[in-house]
Amino acid sequence: MIKTSAIKFLFILFFLINVQVGTAQGYDLSGTVLDDTNQPIPGVNIIIDGSNRGTVTNENGKYSIKLAKGNYTIKVTYLGFKTVEQQITFNNDKTLNFNLVPQTEDLQEVVVTDNIEGINIRDPEMSVSKLDASSIKKIPVVFGEVDVIQSLLQLPGVSNAGEGASGFNVRGGATDQNLILIDDALIYNSSHLFGFFSIFNPDAVKNLKLYKGGIPANYGGRVSSVLDIKQKTGNTQKLKGEGGIGVISSKLTLEGPIQKDKSSFLVSGRGTYAHLFLKLTDNSNSAYFYDLNTKLNFNIDEKNTLSFSGYYGLDYVNINDSFTNIYGNAFGILDWEHKFNENINSNLNFSYSQYNYELDLALVGFNFQNSISNFDLSYQINHTINPNLDLSYGLSSIQYTINPGEIVPTTADSGINPRKLNNKYAFDNAAFLSVNQSLSDKINIQYGLRVSAFLRMEDESIDIYANNNPLLYDENRSIYVEATPTETIGGNTSRVNESFINLEPRAGISYLIDDNTSIKASYNRMVQNLHLLSNTSSPTPFDVWTPSGTYIKPQKLDQFAFGYFKDFENIPFTLETEVFYKTIDNRIDYIDGANLIANEAIERVILNGEGRAYGLEFYFKKNTGRLTGWLSYTLSRSEQRTPGRTPNEIGINNGDWYLNGYDKTHDVSLTSSYELNEKWQINSNFVLQTGRPVNFPVGQFEFQDLNIPVFEGRNLNRLPTFHRLDLSATYTPEKKNKSWSSSWNFGIYNVYNRRNAASLNFEQNTTTGQNEAVRFSIFGIVPSVSYSFKF
Amino acid sequence: MMRKFFILLGLVSLLSACEDVVEVNLEEAQPRLIVDAILSWEKGTDGANQSIKLSRTRGFFEQEPNPVSGASIAVNNSSGKEFIFEEVTSGEYATDNFEPELNELYSLTIELDGSVYTAEENLKPVVAIDSIEQNDEGGFSGEDIELKAFYKDPEGVENYYLFKFFTPFLAFPDFSVFDDEFNDGNRIFGLFSEEDLEPGMEIGIQIHGISREYYNFLEILLAQAGSAGGPFETQPATVRGNIKNENDSEELIFGYFGLSEVDEVIYTIQ
Repeated sequence: MIKTSAIKFLFILFFLINVQVGTAQGYDLSGTVLDDTNQPIPGVNIIIDGSNRGTVTNENGKYSIKLAKGNYTIKVTYLGFKTVEQQITFNNDKTLNFNLVPQTEDLQEVVVTDNIEGINIRDPEMSVSKLDASSIKKIPVVFGEVDVIQSLLQLPGVSNAGEGASGFNVRGGATDQNLILIDDALIYNSSHLFGFFSIFNPDAVKNLKLYKGGIPANYGGRVSSVLDIKQKTGNTQKLKGEGGIGVISSKLTLEGPIQKDKSSFLVSGRGTYAHLFLKLTDNSNSAYFYDLNTKLNFNIDEKNTLSFSGYYGLDYVNINDSFTNIYGNAFGILDWEHKFNENINSNLNFSYSQYNYELDLALVGFNFQNSISNFDLSYQINHTINPNLDLSYGLSSIQYTINPGEIVPTTADSGINPRKLNNKYAFDNAAFLSVNQSLSDKINIQYGLRVSAFLRMEDESIDIYANNNPLLYDENRSIYVEATPTETIGGNTSRVNESFINLEPRAGISYLIDDNTSIKASYNRMVQNLHLLSNTSSPTPFDVWTPSGTYIKPQKLDQFAFGYFKDFENIPFTLETEVFYKTIDNRIDYIDGANLIANEAIERVILNGEGRAYGLEFYFKKNTGRLTGWLSYTLSRSEQRTPGRTPNEIGINNGDWYLNGYDKTHDVSLTSSYELNEKWQINSNFVLQTGRPVNFPVGQFEFQDLNIPVFEGRNLNRLPTFHRLDLSATYTPEKKNKSWSSSWNFGIYNVYNRRNAASLNFEQNTTTGQNEAVRFSIFGIVPSVSYSFKF
Repeated sequence: MMRKFFILLGLVSLLSACEDVVEVNLEEAQPRLIVDAILSWEKGTDGANQSIKLSRTRGFFEQEPNPVSGASIAVNNSSGKEFIFEEVTSGEYATDNFEPELNELYSLTIELDGSVYTAEENLKPVVAIDSIEQNDEGGFSGEDIELKAFYKDPEGVENYYLFKFFTPFLAFPDFSVFDDEFNDGNRIFGLFSEEDLEPGMEIGIQIHGISREYYNFLEILLAQAGSAGGPFETQPATVRGNIKNENDSEELIFGYFGLSEVDEVIYTIQ
């Protein structure tokens, strides 16, 4: 069934590629747009003045448009670059290349880059949010600590499980379903300090693109979203720097030429003050984190560019020398970009990423570590067949090594025995083809196919269970019970244990209603073979990834989205509305009381469930003028269920659908920025959200002197509505000298000091013994000041 | 743990995090039977005096207890000897002739309102607490008194433990459960730390030998206390015990029938 529909799909795919694009009238105007260092610029707006027509350049900086004979003024605009205008007389096919030069020295003074002229109304790409460093920096945040994930949360379809929760949730997906890439290298954990901050140093980030749906075939491996972050490339002309001093951290970035015009470097570091927060009290606790980013870029010749990106970050928490918690990500990636000719270029990259977690409990006398790492080799070709047909195709292979846990006693009299859990090994191979095609002036399509082949290798020892069933069901007590293996056999880690081959079709279409209005639709299937074992609402740093295998099947997502896009002609507003529906198969869920830490036999505590989410997104945005900003609104629902494997079994939550812990029915964000004058800029951010789903007790029972709350069902109640207003003002004094500029940022987080509940705990007062509901709120009003500079 | 860490982190971060007691309107489910039938045999005693409590669930904020009277309760050992529990106060049933025996299989029978409730468990042995260590610079703050109660886990067998710490200032004992997965055969400890511990206080420390099933039950039960909240907590669960209604297998009964050998030490804080 799946096979035949895939074959059909392939057939349609090849049919479409061969369609003759001869229906439109006129001639082709095409060309390439390059920057001052001869790098192609994607996303440049090509506007045909007076005709209300236009297009955008593709990933290779190429554009093409059909025009009737006549005289035109071609306007080439891209934020941060000087607009170029050229008059042409057009009477046959013509190639016109442009070189853009930066508007100011300062590329950062750029606003949100997408949709500025409403031109991508034409592109079949949908469900994508783009932010660049400067708009991220405008959003007021707690402690004035500019944060990439905090800014993502202001966009429609993106939420998290509350203040201080880790990660982010896209269109009702789980945190571990986001593919996070920095310069194409994999990131396993995006959080610092359990989620208060994210690992992305905003000074090292050039821009980011978040795919919530319609994900092109060159991405795979996670089912919910792709967060594609690009680091800045160093300046090839002269040495520059920027930095800042804030309440939480200080940072410094240096960039400049290694060899002028040819090669450049960028290094960026951010560190919190040692003993952040905790040192304020008079004890021996400490907590800090830091990030180091680097990028080296070599323009070898016109056809070849070589670059290296690297990152190393660490979180450290030490409480009274008895509890030490250390974790962090690191990666390095080497990328070689080669242009075969004007129409074909390629990227070959090789990367290594890792995430390590370490817990040292001196109190008990042991050290616990777990880690995941991967090597990733991929090759992609971007190929322009003709002005109306772009292909991108390639191969990728990832090798994973997972150490689920190793326990080492740290003292001679430690009561803990040494223990090493079996490493897990897997390969994730994929081939993909993605096609961007213009069928007519009104219809553009994007489609593709990814074939993924996931190979799970054998563990060193394999447990065998009676009837192949690691999780038994006790019908008398209506509970699940871990099975005892009948035998344990040796395995060979270079032998394939299970393989999963999946076809992942992707498709999107846009239809232009008029020059400023379009409708778009998309479908994508995604497959995920790495699963984060986590039975808390929001993942913790010690959660372990596990690959698909005998008992854990690949998660499979199908998502449909439909959207309406409008660029208002006479006022500088754009509107994007989308509806989406998605289903996820094989989402694992955990039996009650499941212990996931250092558990060699995860299969004994999990069941396979499913998820679904649907919603409406609304994004109304003002891009130009002294007042800029957006209003975003999301109406959605995200839930999962895990029925029993047989009708007799109870499943989880009686097999009924239940809301995910991060579900928010209504989610409103109003983000704005106002330029008062040359010195002052005022920013504000208001959020209003339905409270998170939680559980209120429906009674209590007394047992052995304890009052135990009784819960029925899952996530049937909600925390009170969450709302908060943040303000900030940026003061930029007049430049005293040419090479140094600076600014002050004053912020107030939670201006009206609302005690938003992060949790409600129903518990027995330890002194009186009486039951009570305790509200825990994390941030009251928090003022901040920070200072930034550039040279 | 995570919330404690957050509070610690938050409180000192500009003193903006806070906890306060709020009023919440709660729904109330239909009352269900609770069977609190844990028989404990303290080392060095004859274990003849035992009691079992029956009650029903009530609203979470309801303070009046909801005892269940008029049941007939009996515990049998594997050779058929029966121990009758008589109601001594409303909802509390007791016997003074129980005969505990290590590893013996016991069964519980309760007759109430025409239904018969049953359960079975083994009486689990436990090793003794061999010493107490006191550290005056313990806990998260490094300033609290911390007690370690040491015991030697028997090697080569699966053991499960319940520790209870009784203090003069806490309204109910502190419970913690352990298995021996990572310390089989070793000398290890139960741990207790509270900022209100002070020299001169008498602390009752108990170690109970428990079954694997009772351990799983307690793990889920203890996770419910103070549950339902934070992003780093697990989902609340229905705490299913080992008591079943012979007449109606669908009836959900709270509580547990368990038997433990117990060692108790009364420690005076130095």
